[in-house]
Amino acid sequence: MQTKIIIQRLSELPTAPTTIGTMAWNQTGDWRYVTPLVADKLAPCSQNCPAGIPIPRHLGAMNRGDIEGGLALLLAYNPLPGLTGRLCYHPCQTKCIRRTIDRTISIQKVERFLGDLATDVTIEKSDKTDQRVTVIGSGPLGLSCAFYLACWGCRVVVLDPAGQAGGALVDLSPGKIEPQVLSHEINRLIRLADIRLETGAVIDFDTPGELLSNADLVILDPTGLSEDFSVPTGAVACNPFDEETATGGIISVKLPQNLTPFKAPMIAHYIAAGRLLARKVFDGLRPVDLAQPAPDLPLQAVSIENIKIERFPVSGPAAETETKQEVTWDRERALQEAERCLSCGTCNLCLQCVSYCPDASIRPDGENIAVAVDLDHCKGCGICAYECPRGVITMEDMSV
Amino acid sequence: MKKVMMGTEAATMAVKLARVQVVSAYPITPQTVIVESLADIIGRGELKAKYMPVESEHTAMSSCMGASLAGARTFTATSSQGLAYMHEMLHFTAGERVPVVMVNCNRALAPPWNLYCDHTDSLSQRDTGWIQYYCADAQDVLDAILIAYAVAEQALLPVMINLDAFYLTHTSEPLDVPDQETVDLFLPPYHASLKLDVNDPKTFSIVCGADLFSSIKYKRQGDTLAVARLWDQVAEKYNSHFNRLHKTVEAYRTEDADLCIVSIGTATGTIRLAVDRLREEGLKVGSLRLAMIRPFPLEGLQRAIAKVKHVIVIDRDVSFGAEGIVAQEVKAGLFGHRGDLKVTGFVAGVGGNDVTVDTIIPLVRQAISGYGNAVEAGMSLWAEVLP
Repeated sequence: MQTKIIIQRLSELPTAPTTIGTMAWNQTGDWRYVTPLVADKLAPCSQNCPAGIPIPRHLGAMNRGDIEGGLALLLAYNPLPGLTGRLCYHPCQTKCIRRTIDRTISIQKVERFLGDLATDVTIEKSDKTDQRVTVIGSGPLGLSCAFYLACWGCRVVVLDPAGQAGGALVDLSPGKIEPQVLSHEINRLIRLADIRLETGAVIDFDTPGELLSNADLVILDPTGLSEDFSVPTGAVACNPFDEETATGGIISVKLPQNLTPFKAPMIAHYIAAGRLLARKVFDGLRPVDLAQPAPDLPLQAVSIENIKIERFPVSGPAAETETKQEVTWDRERALQEAERCLSCGTCNLCLQCVSYCPDASIRPDGENIAVAVDLDHCKGCGICAYECPRGVITMEDMSV
Repeated sequence: MKKVMMGTEAATMAVKLARVQVVSAYPITPQTVIVESLADIIGRGELKAKYMPVESEHTAMSSCMGASLAGARTFTATSSQGLAYMHEMLHFTAGERVPVVMVNCNRALAPPWNLYCDHTDSLSQRDTGWIQYYCADAQDVLDAILIAYAVAEQALLPVMINLDAFYLTHTSEPLDVPDQETVDLFLPPYHASLKLDVNDPKTFSIVCGADLFSSIKYKRQGDTLAVARLWDQVAEKYNSHFNRLHKTVEAYRTEDADLCIVSIGTATGTIRLAVDRLREEGLKVGSLRLAMIRPFPLEGLQRAIAKVKHVIVIDRDVSFGAEGIVAQEVKAGLFGHRGDLKVTGFVAGVGGNDVTVDTIIPLVRQAISGYGNAVEAGMSLWAEVLP
């Protein structure tokens, strides 16, 4: 550290009113009460997605020209993209950071494009085990739960007493969902996850058939069964969103009040509920001493914290009016839209923060692979966090 | 190479020849041609510079200061209201000793709105610490900008090159454009001795107590005063390369003159015609152009009017409540040196009134006889006023 210089003669004065020597000793970091945290985070769109889909990941894959890869990444979080792409109230788009620059990214239109792709994809699955699960009702919740359990190795059968699969979705007007779209979605789901689906099934708990009596677990899907379906005595009520675990037997899914009766725009919530339920019952299905870690697939990567019941709109979305059915975007348009994604939550070294820091206290690290904050001199002004176009930098109170 | 150019184009040409690295400016009539043509040549890659289209003149000057501190040769241009808007940062650039060069196109200050020539805009900034030079013609514009960079970077002080609105900015004249190689010899690249460097942090524009404040200002005063001689030395060097001399004062037929007309800017050329006409009538008249107003070229003025008995100052500006600003400057420069001298100050040609030979000759006669159409206001006589 340089010693203090005392100017005693006019000739010793510098030309400009500037310090002589370095000012690095002046550790202005002492002034800071909030600290920039540079860390990859869930993008705002994903944070607001009822199904917790890491949206920039599938848009990013499309951006690299890998459309099928994008679909696979999307399916890992949402096995019914063609339906959400039409029905969901897309709260993701209201948080899209791109809207502060020009306009929000049409995440839903891209999702619909991916959902309607005729091509098939392969997804990672665990080897089949002897665990048998029967899901009664083929609404979005039941199908979603069946999909994840099947992907994690369970032998899953879906039984629907109705003549047509889809549960509450079947009753929607063709203006909302064309029948061929519904069958395309369900067919892909059962094909990918290797699920056996039987419609027109006779459900009789008093004289159960093989599919019921052999099952380690039976799940009753409220989005797939009519209200007059008689729940057998001995069925355990289970709310997928609460913290309770669920074990074998017959599980009767009880949804929170704002998800009953079925509301089509909330479809992503039902899909999320199915996944959360699958997660819950999957742990109960596995004998404790054989506990392998749950398969670390993207299929279960989203945490419960990202799907908070409190975020649900209390009154639900706007009244379900008959909307004009729009066309699915073509490949070129969907790719153009995906290209607009800023990949929020992931630092791509745009160095906007470095340009804007008035104290040169946030700079590329030695290897030029990330930015690092000089905490000795950062005053905590927050300009970096404000300027970061991807929401990677946040100001945090580090005193607690 | 001979070319026909407007004053604004001559300024752009000079900026290009000076290999300026950062241009930050906001357009304003009549300066607009300069920023537009600079944007063009930078956009086309003819000048390797960073062009900053800023949102205001205040930012233009702030960013010039920053760019200059970062070690870049920096240019901006403005006029009238824009210059007034820069006022705060003019003090900063001069005080921080950054060698920014700026073209100001002298235009009247509103209200009333008027786009034409008037020197009050720049003269009202004379106490900011900037070097101020007033051009006579387009050749002077081109040459003075090149000289200005050499002076500014040696003295570490900013220089304002002033062009009369329209008479100079928008009038085409033949001029000689020097070749790049010779300009490079005259004006080598700028190497800042002290600059912004994130790896060697320093505080610029420091906080300073009374213990050092007067010493810092005293030092700057000395350095600024020295620029009058420094300019003449650099002008001589420029002359040796290009055979054109642009000194701080320019005297015309003053050797034997009894009466000398002092002026700044483009009016001087017309005044010389009037001088010739009056000489034919037997009056011993001369003309003195003050090219530099800050620092005030005291030695040049005193030498030029050593034998003169009567000085007439024609101001295209006014300091309200006092008189024409150049007249004030001349009087201050003569006080205690030539107490016997008679000084008559006229305010003429403000807001775009043409100062013609037919304007000047009656003013000279009025200065001598005491009778004429110019009306008194304080110590000045105003021409072009309604009866």
